[in-house]
Amino acid sequence: MKDLVIKGSWIRRELIILAIIFLFAVVVNVIGIIKHDTGWIELLSQLHVVFILMFILYALLWLLRLIIYLVTFPFRNKKNSKT
Amino acid sequence: MTYKQSRRIFLQKTALITGGLFLGSHLPDLRTLAADQGETTEEVKLGLIGSGSRGQYLMDHLNLIPGIEVVAVCDNYQPNLTMGVQKTGGKAEAFTDYRKLLERRDIDGVIIATPLHLHSLMSVDALQAGLHVFCEKAMAKTPRECLDMYKTQLQTGKILLIGHQRMFNPRYLKAFEMINSGQLGDITQIRAYWHRNNDWRRAVPEPGLERKINWRLYWEYSEGLMTELGSHQIQVANFIKKDFPRRVAGTGSINYWHDGREVFDNVNLVYEYPDGSTLIYDSMISNAHYGLEEQVMGPKGTMELETGKMYSENPPPAPGILQLLNNIEHKIFDPLPLGGKSWVPETAREAKGEYIYEVDLEDDGTALEMEGFAQMIRENRHSDILLREAYYGAIAALLGNEAIKKGEMITFPEEYIL
Repeated sequence: MKDLVIKGSWIRRELIILAIIFLFAVVVNVIGIIKHDTGWIELLSQLHVVFILMFILYALLWLLRLIIYLVTFPFRNKKNSKT
Repeated sequence: MTYKQSRRIFLQKTALITGGLFLGSHLPDLRTLAADQGETTEEVKLGLIGSGSRGQYLMDHLNLIPGIEVVAVCDNYQPNLTMGVQKTGGKAEAFTDYRKLLERRDIDGVIIATPLHLHSLMSVDALQAGLHVFCEKAMAKTPRECLDMYKTQLQTGKILLIGHQRMFNPRYLKAFEMINSGQLGDITQIRAYWHRNNDWRRAVPEPGLERKINWRLYWEYSEGLMTELGSHQIQVANFIKKDFPRRVAGTGSINYWHDGREVFDNVNLVYEYPDGSTLIYDSMISNAHYGLEEQVMGPKGTMELETGKMYSENPPPAPGILQLLNNIEHKIFDPLPLGGKSWVPETAREAKGEYIYEVDLEDDGTALEMEGFAQMIRENRHSDILLREAYYGAIAALLGNEAIKKGEMITFPEEYIL
């Protein structure tokens, strides 16, 4: 059985992606507040929604990356076999 | 929840209410109960007249309350009398003639839970015998009898309390307070209904007892749905409106239970208050889907008193991020319209509303009402507000039946305005 090795660079990359998505969710919250003229207190009070949105987007991104990986998988094998 | 817990909450709520302006304006005189009684519960001795199902129900509540003893029970139907005495642990003296019971000098007051046509006669006799009276609703069978009872109370100075337990129900008191503070705006319409799906009959051991046991079904003894159910809800509507309706029109019939009964098995009425607002009332016993409710409506919101829920007409908007995400979701998933919308069906809103009273009480106010009666006796303090509420509620219910029977709009008679 092959060991699964999680590298520090992988963790760092995922954390950076998560942080970018979090910032994106915060921006969505800000746009929502401005567009619907609600209170700035929602930057804090709706933090739970921001986190939920962040995890949903992160999961969707994972799904997207998985699809890309699966689609490109045969080509990668050919490429690897040639080298 | 035990009665003690229920009572404690009631006192907290009442103290809250009595602290405001509401009591001075229109809340029932509940200071009696709200007062800190501590553990001093001077024994109150009561007689029970009418130990049928309602009388036994009241006995069950009386037995929960310290400082009340039922020392005499009267009923002219032996099985009920036996049950009534049993509920006192066999201690109460049994009577078959209420006048003999009234002669007992050691009794402070009586509880009357007899058929409607006897309420006035027995209440007046008891008051004139120098006893305090709790009489079940509706107050009496005719407006004249209601007036007789009211006048007799004035003459004797004794307590006369009619069994409208919602006036002692903390959930209702909270609702009254909120409505009175203007949270719904001016009340423009009240819709109330009480729906059941049963024949309203009790088992009769022999045919000769039909009218005695099923007295609710015959005009000689009863005014049917209007007095047995409607009077409660009309009284609530009156209390909210701080007035009584001046006109009523409606219809009623026997449209399902064709079993020899005389009273209507469905009633449908519109009551009009002096400010033009209305109470739309109906009751039926052939469908129980909607149960019972009092829906109080104003320009700012709606309140449902039985479920204890409030629905704002202008609820606060959802947070901006949720509105934004919701809009995005609609843009992606909603079907594209082929043409502009010319009409949207104005079906009921699906708002869940907010509970106005967070505690689920087991007591519907009956035990608190019984205790209130005992405490009023201890302090020898009558509540004219509560009696007037019962008076106008009963007469409005009776006028509803009159409107149905005559098929015309009935105006509240001047002679019965107090």
